[in-house]
Amino acid sequence: MSTDPSSPVLRIEGLVKRYGPHLVIDGVDLDVAAGQVVVFVGPSGTGKSTLLRCVNGLEDIQGGRILFEGQPVLSRSSAIHAVRRRIGMIFQGFNLYPHLTALQNVTLAPVKVLGEPAKDVEERARGLFRKVRLEHRAHAFPSQLSGGEQQRVAIARALAMNPHLLMFDEPTSALDPETVGDVLAVMEDLAREGRTMLVVTHEIGFARHVGDRMIFMDGGKIVEDRPPEEMIASPENPRTRQFLGSILHH
Amino acid sequence: MSPQVAAYWYVFLKGVGITLWISWLALILGGVVGLVIGLLRIAPWAIVRWAAIVYIEVFRSVPPLVLFFGCFYGLSFAMKLDLSPFSAATIALTLTASALMAEVVRAGIESVTRGQWEAALSQGMTYPQVFRYVIWPQAIRVMLPPSVGVYISTLKDSSLASIIGYVELTKSGLLVRESTGISFEVLLIIAILYFIINYSISLVGTALERRFKYVH
Repeated sequence: MSTDPSSPVLRIEGLVKRYGPHLVIDGVDLDVAAGQVVVFVGPSGTGKSTLLRCVNGLEDIQGGRILFEGQPVLSRSSAIHAVRRRIGMIFQGFNLYPHLTALQNVTLAPVKVLGEPAKDVEERARGLFRKVRLEHRAHAFPSQLSGGEQQRVAIARALAMNPHLLMFDEPTSALDPETVGDVLAVMEDLAREGRTMLVVTHEIGFARHVGDRMIFMDGGKIVEDRPPEEMIASPENPRTRQFLGSILHH
Repeated sequence: MSPQVAAYWYVFLKGVGITLWISWLALILGGVVGLVIGLLRIAPWAIVRWAAIVYIEVFRSVPPLVLFFGCFYGLSFAMKLDLSPFSAATIALTLTASALMAEVVRAGIESVTRGQWEAALSQGMTYPQVFRYVIWPQAIRVMLPPSVGVYISTLKDSSLASIIGYVELTKSGLLVRESTGISFEVLLIIAILYFIINYSISLVGTALERRFKYVH
């Protein structure tokens, strides 16, 4: 979806993120091409989620730079709003707006932020509810929806902005096991449409079937970055092997 | 009710009207000032936060009676103003109400989780947009019950305006007591009228709260 297919949608160079004295991301370089599905795995606290949060400027950074569609991402500049409009983010805790219906959750930002006519947005939203298989729940409030349903509304909400990049921050970690499949199925559909996606997850099955690249992070660094099949079959780094071993044998 | 007291019914009625009016006015002014102070209280700049904290702590610690005297005599003297009892009482009530409302506003806004800010920001909303469309509608639900409490306490504080000669409900009653010489009955009537007013406000508050609840 990028204007120039040869340049990456996202480029990260020497990214450093610190919380006080604590180094969370320790020099990460990464290029993501249009249409790629990049799955991040690794032990918790290794900077995967923080990396996503740096990409849309929810966190400020202490070193290196991030380019989204060629534009620098600066968390404190007023240009950050324009960047965020083109990046959809899905959170572990859904973060739906509890005072609005599912449909209003989806239409709020396109109407108020992009200034699109409410009627057009609503029509588009109805299509999105079909896509996430929730047409019958559009008028429910978040508190009336299951976790899996809420997360699918959150995906529809992100899609409503017509983003060029989708970021999923542990989208299924807070879900009951029986609803995880519904959310992963929707994410798989999106990948098949050719959307550019960054996914932090512990769902190795999803990574294997849907991911183009699998990135193993540990200690704030990218340890291994390969096609998922290969990495799962024969991890090169001992830490990757140990981590994959621990989660695959459960 | 003895006929001597009953003959003064219109004095009580007028007193009720004035008490409602001045406490309502103080609540509105206190609400506006309290909203501003409450927002400053959580501003990103330490110096502004400090100023707001000082305002809140001072005006909710000083007894209303002292504020009434301070406004009526102190302000008149210090600023060479000739404040009427009404103006002085309104200012004094507003100071207390705004300090209380500032804390209600702060608590309401802080009750909305960080995830709500992040979700809205990640959609490209500016801070004012996040506040207006996402944070405020949720905060106001949390603010409603304690706001009713602030109104009731403001209304009760307004009885102190009688001290500086403002003829609201309490002062009206005291005047009736003087002219009839009947004490207990008059004070009982005043108490009952305050109870009816405040209990009604409380009922309206509960009804509003129910209307504002999310569907569950």
